[in-house]
Amino acid sequence: MIEVRQLRKTYASGVEAVRGIDFDVPDGQVFGLLGPNGAGKSTTIGMLTTTIAPSGGTARVGGFDVVREPLAARRVSSVVFQEAVVDRALTGRRHLDLHARLWGVEPSAAAGRVGDLVDALGLAKLIDRPVGSYSGGERRRLELARALVSQPRVLFLDEPTVGLDPRIRHELLDLIGAWGSHAELTILVTTHYLDEAERLCDRLAIIHAGRIVALDTPAALRAALGRELLELKVDGDAAAALASLRARGIAQDDAFLVGSTVTVPLNGRTSTDAIAVVSELRLAAAVSSRPPTLDDVYLRLTGGRLAAAA
Amino acid sequence: MFAHTLSPLATLSRRRLQLTVRTPRELLVPLVTPILFALVIAPALRTALHTDASYEAFVAIGTVGLLIPLNMMFSGLSVIVDREQGAQRELLAAPVARPLLVLGNLIVAAAITGLQIAVLIAAAAARGIHFHASTSGVLWFLAAVVTFGVGMYGLAEILAGRVPKQEEYIARVPAVAIVPWFLAGSLFPIKAMPAFLAWLAKFLPLTHGLALMRYGLLGDATGLRNIWGMHDTTAMAGLSLGVTALFALVLTAASIRVFTRSAVH
Repeated sequence: MIEVRQLRKTYASGVEAVRGIDFDVPDGQVFGLLGPNGAGKSTTIGMLTTTIAPSGGTARVGGFDVVREPLAARRVSSVVFQEAVVDRALTGRRHLDLHARLWGVEPSAAAGRVGDLVDALGLAKLIDRPVGSYSGGERRRLELARALVSQPRVLFLDEPTVGLDPRIRHELLDLIGAWGSHAELTILVTTHYLDEAERLCDRLAIIHAGRIVALDTPAALRAALGRELLELKVDGDAAAALASLRARGIAQDDAFLVGSTVTVPLNGRTSTDAIAVVSELRLAAAVSSRPPTLDDVYLRLTGGRLAAAA
Repeated sequence: MFAHTLSPLATLSRRRLQLTVRTPRELLVPLVTPILFALVIAPALRTALHTDASYEAFVAIGTVGLLIPLNMMFSGLSVIVDREQGAQRELLAAPVARPLLVLGNLIVAAAITGLQIAVLIAAAAARGIHFHASTSGVLWFLAAVVTFGVGMYGLAEILAGRVPKQEEYIARVPAVAIVPWFLAGSLFPIKAMPAFLAWLAKFLPLTHGLALMRYGLLGDATGLRNIWGMHDTTAMAGLSLGVTALFALVLTAASIRVFTRSAVH
């Protein structure tokens, strides 16, 4: 449904935002692009939605090349943008109606879909009010309803929960999750919230500095760090502590540090032995062992270079 | 194919109209200054300068030449609002040809300008200003209004596409909308200006537009003669219409190009 091959974007300023990425998203899958701010996630969505011209490579959405067949690619897709993209003076219903008309939905079909979406997304009390009076969460729900009214085959969600309070964020994730379970809808979601990625996505690509540094299911990405890892809170020089652990064979190349925390995948060693070495070397103020999370995968891949440099 | 173009164009125009009618500023502000000119300043000038009643009619048409640029420039402002705080990105993600986004706005801007001109002319007539319009004269007038107005909207779109902030856009409005109005024979014939400025004014589309409007609504071909120096008034009117039509065509094409290029990064 989405095919991306060596997609690149270099802006006129010389910034290389995306540096040759490849991925496929099959029909019905929820695919996540996970990365820090500036990693190239929004640029990738911009290229797939034809608002950013690729500098190289190819991308197909719903079988349509985004450069050669942009209208067809846009016809089968919808976007929920990171920022508010609404006409504040118009009502919610007018937004849904406008989207349906622009996407060529028959008026009789549109009326039914608008009614269904308004009910499903809890918009009944808001829908005839100007959007300027909506809260952030209400606006997000409206934007989701708007994107779905044309029954897209591909839905792009660009950081859909950014700026929302935790309760509204969880409610919205439930709604997206429910729509993501529809077999006919393919979703590409960008986020820098790891829990969101783990909760929503069938597969994840971790993007860093314009390159995909890992791509797999959330479980497989976690499994790459083994079953257990050691976490050290270091008072002094964390880089020196990591070097000492490497010298003693406790830490391998996959160990990494973020700030004053050193994280060491145990790769089959027992935590008791490793903690004993740490205590002997007096390296840490606190030591604990735990199973790896997606945070660890993300931090190793996007912050791991700091450890390598150390 | 035709229906595939017309349907989204109608949808886009309807959206722009709904947004405009919710912003009375866009409807009223451009109308204030021209009405002030036509109904207050023109009679005052007539008294002060000891001119006759035809001068009021002369200035009433001159104020149409202020109303069109002001209204079109205000319409251009809404393009920046769309981009900065509105739903422009949703429209760019829609399966419609992007030039239609420009044309949808243009249709509404032209319709509102037409309405405002009708109000201005009606107010001037109610104030006792007399027009000598024939059917063909009205057509010349309308042709001048439409072509000059379309060109001015193109200019507004281009400016909106190149200027990032509303404040910067507004700062440029006087240079684009008002300075040419003083040079184009709005309040006095261009021959009354120094020779160099009179020569320069012949290159302004507004000069041609105003000469055509006066020819159409007042039956006065003096403006056309001051530009072309010919005897055949129909030929001169055709030439001036050619100038304003070319202005409209070039500026519309350029505005579509600027919009589509600025919309895709």
